[in-house]
Amino acid sequence: MMNKKPHSSDSCPSNSFGRFVAKSSLPRRTMLQGMGAAIALPLLDAMVPSLTAAEATPAAAANLRRIGYVYIPMGFNPAEWTPKSETLDDLPSSLAPLGAVKDKVTVVSGMDLQNAYPGSHATSNSAFLSAAKAKLTESSDYYSGTTVDQIAAKQFGHQTQLPSLELSMDLLSTVGQCDNGYACVYQNNLSWSSPTTPLPAEAHPRLIFEQLFGEGGTPSQREAALRRRASLLDSVTQEIKRLKNRLGADDRNKIDDYIESIREVERRIDHAESTAKDNPLPDLDRPVGVPVAYSDHVELMFDLQLLAFRGDITRIVTFQLARESSTRTYPEIGVPEPHHPVTHHGNNPEKLAKVAKINQYHVSLFADFLRKMQDTPEGDGTLLDHSLYMYGSGMGNPDTHDHANLPIVVAGGAAGNMRGGRHIRYDKPEPLANLHLTLLNKVGVPLETFSDSTGTVDELFDPVGV
Amino acid sequence: MMQSVATRCVLAGLFLAIARSPATAVDASAAIETVETFVSDYCLDCHNAGEAIQDVDLESVLLREGDWARDEDARRSWELTWKRIASRQMPPADAYRPDEQEYRAAVAALETVLDDVADKHKDIPAVDTLRRLTRTEYQNSIRDLLGVQVDASEWIPRDESSDGFDNITVGELSPALLSRYLTAAEKISRIAVGRKTDTAMGLNVRLPADLTQENHLPGLPLGTRGGTNIRHTFAQSGVYELAVRLTRYRDEMVEGLYRPHDLDVLVDLERRHRFHIEPPENGKDFTHVDTNLKIRLPIEAGPHDIAVTFVDQGESLMEIKRQPFDAAYNRHRHPRQQPALFEVSIVGPLSAEDSGDARASDRPAAPLPTDTPSRRHIFTVWPDDDSIAAQLVAAETILRPIVRHAFRREVTDADLETPLSFFRESLVGEPASREQFEAGIERAIASILVNPNFLFRIETPFAGVDTPGQRRAISDSELAGRMAAFLWSSCPDTELLDLAVRDRLNDPTVVREQVARMLADPRSESLVTNFAAQWLYLRNLDSVTPDLRRFPDFDENLRRAFRGETEALFRHVLRTDASVLGLLRSDFTYLNERLAKHYGVPGVVGSHFRRVDLAADARRGGLLRHGSILTVTSYATRTSPTIRGNWVLENIVGTPPPPPPPDVPTLTEKSAAVATTFKERLAQHRDNAACASCHALIDPVGFALDNFDAVGRWRAYDGEVPIDASGTLPDGTEVAGIDDLESSLVARPEMFVGRLVEKLMTFGLGRTVDHRDAAAVRKIVADAAKTDYRFSQLIQGIVASEPFRYRTPSPSQPPSPSTDSQ
Repeated sequence: MMNKKPHSSDSCPSNSFGRFVAKSSLPRRTMLQGMGAAIALPLLDAMVPSLTAAEATPAAAANLRRIGYVYIPMGFNPAEWTPKSETLDDLPSSLAPLGAVKDKVTVVSGMDLQNAYPGSHATSNSAFLSAAKAKLTESSDYYSGTTVDQIAAKQFGHQTQLPSLELSMDLLSTVGQCDNGYACVYQNNLSWSSPTTPLPAEAHPRLIFEQLFGEGGTPSQREAALRRRASLLDSVTQEIKRLKNRLGADDRNKIDDYIESIREVERRIDHAESTAKDNPLPDLDRPVGVPVAYSDHVELMFDLQLLAFRGDITRIVTFQLARESSTRTYPEIGVPEPHHPVTHHGNNPEKLAKVAKINQYHVSLFADFLRKMQDTPEGDGTLLDHSLYMYGSGMGNPDTHDHANLPIVVAGGAAGNMRGGRHIRYDKPEPLANLHLTLLNKVGVPLETFSDSTGTVDELFDPVGV
Repeated sequence: MMQSVATRCVLAGLFLAIARSPATAVDASAAIETVETFVSDYCLDCHNAGEAIQDVDLESVLLREGDWARDEDARRSWELTWKRIASRQMPPADAYRPDEQEYRAAVAALETVLDDVADKHKDIPAVDTLRRLTRTEYQNSIRDLLGVQVDASEWIPRDESSDGFDNITVGELSPALLSRYLTAAEKISRIAVGRKTDTAMGLNVRLPADLTQENHLPGLPLGTRGGTNIRHTFAQSGVYELAVRLTRYRDEMVEGLYRPHDLDVLVDLERRHRFHIEPPENGKDFTHVDTNLKIRLPIEAGPHDIAVTFVDQGESLMEIKRQPFDAAYNRHRHPRQQPALFEVSIVGPLSAEDSGDARASDRPAAPLPTDTPSRRHIFTVWPDDDSIAAQLVAAETILRPIVRHAFRREVTDADLETPLSFFRESLVGEPASREQFEAGIERAIASILVNPNFLFRIETPFAGVDTPGQRRAISDSELAGRMAAFLWSSCPDTELLDLAVRDRLNDPTVVREQVARMLADPRSESLVTNFAAQWLYLRNLDSVTPDLRRFPDFDENLRRAFRGETEALFRHVLRTDASVLGLLRSDFTYLNERLAKHYGVPGVVGSHFRRVDLAADARRGGLLRHGSILTVTSYATRTSPTIRGNWVLENIVGTPPPPPPPDVPTLTEKSAAVATTFKERLAQHRDNAACASCHALIDPVGFALDNFDAVGRWRAYDGEVPIDASGTLPDGTEVAGIDDLESSLVARPEMFVGRLVEKLMTFGLGRTVDHRDAAAVRKIVADAAKTDYRFSQLIQGIVASEPFRYRTPSPSQPPSPSTDSQ
């Protein structure tokens, strides 16, 4: 019940526990159910022992069945990003953190988003996953396009508890006008379930956790909670049958419908129980607050994605690492200036270097996540092998707000024969929609075209030289 | 042709308050003759058997012959005819028309005939016998059952609305909904019992993005600005962590933070902490401005007000050249001048060791078990000793009245079986601990909250297939259930249930006394927040977003103020038992500063609503002058005379036009941007025969309101085009604007009151009101006329009416073959 924590200084937790805390030194239940923890430590570092040893029961062989998208705002500094060759043997500084997982990663250069023009922050974000044109309006008659994650969700989202998960890092909900006459929804929402339905993303770790795992707890606590729910449901069945005898014919028919509903809920509870059995999760300790340090917060958000995948709670994720025109500062990596102004670099070498640093920082957080996915066994491979992630920005050169030569990285996908360690370069602009179409096809969405697509990126999955 | 279509569209009913006498055979016969003469003189040119314009054939269906009253279509048709004639819509204004005396005689005669038929053929539309509680009813029932205030919208989805109310289509129980009921039952029983558990709660409250926080907000202490008050029932005593986030713009800079500000945390109006917030030193890096706005507070179990609000610094407006907007929430258009609250999150309780914060440990731990309203409500007894037997005795004493209350009827031992078995499961063995006892009660309550006898209101169908025209009073407990659903949107309380159990509700005097008592009870507030909010479309305010460019002053504050004004006026009529005509025409209204500023009414200072007596030229007062209604009946960019006209006919006059044909485009945008006036362009409606039939009757009503813009402000011009609010109402009255429109509505009060009765009945019974109810409605209106239409008389009339107290056999509900019901 009450979990003792040796010491807690909530004023500055990021200093007392770094991201790479020694696993053995940390009591495992630091965040249990809100008891005593004002800090929200990354879930997995604390849990790795139980995760890799005790509970590493591989799930049944899984195909390539998950897809995730990570967004970074305001483009990149290509000089420090784009590999010189067709391999990733010599990674430029911004991508260097991917070194440990480069076999599972492919860099794609030369993609563009024609429908994001005329260049703006709003359209960079809204077109990234829709490849659609955003209607220029600051009122409520906004119109964009259904995004790829939601197309996937319509295809196989029903197979899991949550069809899809939308995450962001910023607790913002601005309304009205945001960018050159574009309504704020374009910039706030990466994921749209229809051209008029943006899906708000959540940034608060506790709310995401509760959405995924309810109150969490140990596996036995979670099982007990499901049992309690099931027995409550049993009582509804009994009572409704008792009631049926007192009713007229019409109502008895209704009761039969209700009993059908009860059965369906029973099936769901059974399904949740068997899913939990087949995809064992460690103790789930509910995070309390929003971590103070950006990197801790990001890591927690990635950990939640990993746990959601492991538990097969959802198979589709979108994640905004920051919003377009963010003025977040990154003093921890030596960029105390706000992000947005820095990206209007005017080819100033100092500013360009800082853009590259921010790029590298974001990539390093993503790389940590990929490493954890790679370290998590699943079926005949790893969690990463059975997932596809696309990482990148809807803006290329932030100084001019263009949408050409976008920074794009694709990761995972080994179960679908994706070959990593490569750099695919298009000399002539290639629609990003082609990559979207390719990835959707690969996770089982039978689509022939998508937005302005002209084909697919076949070489991504074709073994070179075969 | 066109006119007759028109009359189908608009049936502005005019009720004549004639003296009612029992219709004898002689009366009826004389009345039929009067009607027949009238029809023959004025109707048959068009509505004869051969032409039957608009499918109305008054020649073939003879009043004096045969069994037409058993024919549903004929009766519906004659009730419609009555409304058309009574409303002076028929014969059309440009046809040969009777004089006023002939009209009166014909209307009275037809009324006599129809009431006589209704009297002979008691045929009451069926109320569903199995009806799920709406979300509102669920929440109110929880409040009355367990003494705990919860926000059911946290778990239960919004109900589908049909016929204007959300309690009409309530037969279904989808898997998703059932699943939510399970969750809600577990959470609510935990909160109500307040047992010490090892599970912490988390609560996040986010403020609407378009809430202006520059000034004092209602419900918060004076001397504060912005922020929010969270009323929450804490299940457990302990130390809670409260964290605050400030509103940021899209670039993540905290909006409006130009100088230091203080932010107070108050628990039950007592200040418990003050945060000091400084702008960042370099003026740019806002990253950590609010990341450490956290405080741990000991909070005792039970309901508390947690307020987080800024300390007001007095005049803070920056000097700018143009007049500042009333709204401030978007840096591009109307920037915040001071920081605003974005989110409050509360988590806890934290364990004593873990909360190791000096502030918390200084305070003594709250004694257990905690005394909260819901625990006082539930734990009326405790076990005499720690034996299992004593536990069971106490549990049954506690659970029996809760089950009775929840099931809205006397309970049997069989009803208690399930809750008691859940209770027993929690008992591990002797000696039983207090902890186990409470856990058992919690589980038992959870089982009651998912019991179909609670989730559904159940009435027994009247099974008598071969007894046409027969009717039977519903049982006393069923009547009590209907009264509580109607007046409280909840379940009957002990007094009402006791009377029902003792069969006292078949005494009309007792029912009248109970209705009076229930109206006087604070729970009847649901008539304001549930009935009126749906009748008048106030619920639609939440989704209204007027175009920002045209109406930059619109914000959440205004939305709230709109709702506040209309609710206050309705509440006034309810609480003072005033004439309902006061809703239509009033020389006072309720305003706060925000709304008064919007309306241009001077001298109203402060965020609280107060009654404001209006000057004759104030242009405010009755419902049709309320920003709420004027806004929900407008488009985002402009007014819509058609929507407004339709709204008035549907909700005030009671003659809703049919829905428009499916393939009609709306007018193109750009009011006043083209040479023609908007009104001229709307006239296109009436140049086209297909459109004209209805729009000629709808649009003039809406144009009478066109001096109010799309957010309810008075205007003389739309752009550069003067507003022309004149026109001809459906009954032929010439009007020049809102004053005339109100006068015409008030001059024929039966019209409006009849519609309000229909709406109240729809809500009260949870079913569509149709022609079979028309005679009952006429009677209620006529009776209420004697007391100048006082609100309570309408309610009394409805509860006493046959549709409310009786049901007729429903052919498809044969008697249950099984008799061993329990």
